[in-house]
Amino acid sequence: MSKWLRENLWRHLVALLVSFFALFPIYLVIISSINPTGSLQVTSFIPKAVSFINFTKLFNDPTIPYLIWMKNSLVIAGTVAVLSVVVGAASAFAFSRLRFKGKRSGIQLLLLVQMFPALLALSAVYVIMERVYTFAPAIGLGTQPGLLLVYMGGAMGVNIWLLKGFVDSIPIELDEAARVDGASAVQTYWLIFVPLATPVLAVVSLLSFIGTFNEFIMARLFLVDMNSRTVAVGLQGFIGGQYSQNWGPFAAGSIIASVPIVIIFLSLQKYIINGLTAGSVKG
Amino acid sequence: MKLLYRGKVTKTAKYLVVAFVSAILALLIQSAFAQGEYEIAAFLAIALVSIVIVYLTDISIPFKFLLPGMLFLFAFVIGPIVYTLVMSTFQYQTGNYISKDDAISRIQLLGVEADEAGTSFDVVVGRDSAGKVAILASDILTQSYFVANKEVKRDFLSTDITLNSDGIATAAPGFTPILDSERSTLDFEVSSTRFRYSDEYFILMEGSALGVLKRQVLTYQKDKDVFVNLLDGRTFADNGKGNYADVNDPSQILQPGWRSPIWFSHYIDLFTDSEVRKPLIRVFIWTIIFASLTVLTQFSLGLLLALAMNRPIRGRRIYRSIFILPYAMPSIMSILIWGGMFDTEFGAINNLFGTDIAWFQNALFARAAVIIVNLWLGFPYFYLICSGALQAIPTELSEAAAIDGATPRQIFSKITLPLLLQIVAPLLVASFAFNFNNFNLIYLLTGGGPSSPLDGDIAGATDILISYTYKIAFGTNIQNLGLASAISVIIFIIIASISLYGVRKSKVLDTFV
Repeated sequence: MSKWLRENLWRHLVALLVSFFALFPIYLVIISSINPTGSLQVTSFIPKAVSFINFTKLFNDPTIPYLIWMKNSLVIAGTVAVLSVVVGAASAFAFSRLRFKGKRSGIQLLLLVQMFPALLALSAVYVIMERVYTFAPAIGLGTQPGLLLVYMGGAMGVNIWLLKGFVDSIPIELDEAARVDGASAVQTYWLIFVPLATPVLAVVSLLSFIGTFNEFIMARLFLVDMNSRTVAVGLQGFIGGQYSQNWGPFAAGSIIASVPIVIIFLSLQKYIINGLTAGSVKG
Repeated sequence: MKLLYRGKVTKTAKYLVVAFVSAILALLIQSAFAQGEYEIAAFLAIALVSIVIVYLTDISIPFKFLLPGMLFLFAFVIGPIVYTLVMSTFQYQTGNYISKDDAISRIQLLGVEADEAGTSFDVVVGRDSAGKVAILASDILTQSYFVANKEVKRDFLSTDITLNSDGIATAAPGFTPILDSERSTLDFEVSSTRFRYSDEYFILMEGSALGVLKRQVLTYQKDKDVFVNLLDGRTFADNGKGNYADVNDPSQILQPGWRSPIWFSHYIDLFTDSEVRKPLIRVFIWTIIFASLTVLTQFSLGLLLALAMNRPIRGRRIYRSIFILPYAMPSIMSILIWGGMFDTEFGAINNLFGTDIAWFQNALFARAAVIIVNLWLGFPYFYLICSGALQAIPTELSEAAAIDGATPRQIFSKITLPLLLQIVAPLLVASFAFNFNNFNLIYLLTGGGPSSPLDGDIAGATDILISYTYKIAFGTNIQNLGLASAISVIIFIIIASISLYGVRKSKVLDTFV
């Protein structure tokens, strides 16, 4: 018994303390969301009354177009997730498998570019899209398609880099066998690479999805109109530093917005943890 | 047969897509060119030509794969990086936002002054006999009446025109007042026209029925590129920093200025101008402290947890899922939730611990809050990393040490920790680089505050370089895109050096072929 104490007691103590730390904000936001008074103040850790009034307020209050925000976020993040991987996979395949002039410097450039924090060029992107707006108002500053294009470009570096790493790990013998059988590069891509890579493509695109969903500042600069905002920008503006007001509906909204991401993350846990050691840091 | 058929379908589809994309690009090029956005038009033209060449000929198979990705990278990553470099060499801020030609015409437009007496007229807007926009002006005091357009002024006697009960002319021969329905479409033309009064003076409309006598005070002399003030003879010359400044008193400048190349002035300012340098150094030091403390706290807690869980204790799976939760939550939502919890009056933290701390109003507490929240956000990452790394360390080493009589403490500090650090070092570096630019956390939690804007200081106590740069570029008072770009370039150099060091450590470069 004493040996058990010495060996394991501290482990449980540490684990319990950290569990408390980890769960505290999550538990708090859950009980806030079902608290009928919608107050920020926590009077007791056991909810006295349970109500879904915050959720109904969130869905019905015309000043908070929450469902539109949520739809915007899902559509933007979904489109970026799919398109950036479709485009990125082809480039990654070329960088990994095909021979061409300037490949080495191309890879070096890619390495540098994927390290570049997109935020640093924020003012430049802003000014460029402002200029684009003057001749193409549909894809310039302040529009969702414009934001989408910027996200696509921003996701490209990391996606190509991650996917290139994966293609590198597919045995080259497969390609060579295909080439001996007379397959062209395009056929190798579609018939060998894409089927093999489908799970990885899915993982990388889900990671893009999470990353885009979590992006805040570009979305805030780009989407001024209330109904075009993403859920992050919308909720931030809604609570706007005034935490005591609107806390209840905010809590409800943040829970709903978190659920899809948590589900994606937990179901991809294994892959993400593998990816972690490759040096990618989730935003 | 089937393959042949499929080949034809894909070929047709390919042509359709290429045609569609080319058509859109061509349209964009044409309108970009029409708006004078030549750089963008040129980029789009290069994109169009390369798409057509690469996909309609067999000139290079690899480029068929590479082109779309590369175009996106160049348009939205490399292009903006180059643009940032360019902007950092320009005076580019509020008041210096437009081109020089635009600035000159704006100064001319604004460089007018009312005459000393402040003469004004009651005005009816209309058209003269030639159909040009004109005004019928009345000065009730001197009983003078005239119709004027841009070039000509015609005086009338009070007997020739129709006056209303206030003595204001409402109709004159050859003059037709405009209809109310026409008013809004003519509004811009009317308000920007200078109606002739004399060689020196003209009339500008202020509101819909009042004309004010004005004269040009600042005139532009194109051959010398200077503005001259006709009243006092002062000369304003291009000061090389995007403004016309008084040649005798350089602090007197004309507004607006323009974005003008000033080469490395911003970079020099960063190091020599104490007003720029002092807050920057303060922010830089806090950025380093913030990123280091973050990595240290996240890694320590992660490692402690990994060690605690490194043995199959009861409930390990449940613990593990709980530990991952903070990492699985979208970080934006977590940060906003924490922001509410740190609220001084109603927040759960003050309530729970019975404290009354103004977390975001006190520099020290705000910094502590930032570190605590970031610990919550990031410890699971290092827990996962360290668990993995601990498994990767061969147990033979510690067993051998134990046989040689090493205590568990010695085994940990002499064997496990050094080996572990070797594995996670590149990730510590990557995490440092990431947190160096952790904009969302700072911006959403404290907004960089607390700060004392009364001192004219826009940098707050928790501002890190990237959030400070954002405030400079998109702040509420002055938006200095040029200076912000210069700081961005410096940050990039720092980040790139850190990351390249990390990459070299992790031996990614070795796989280069």
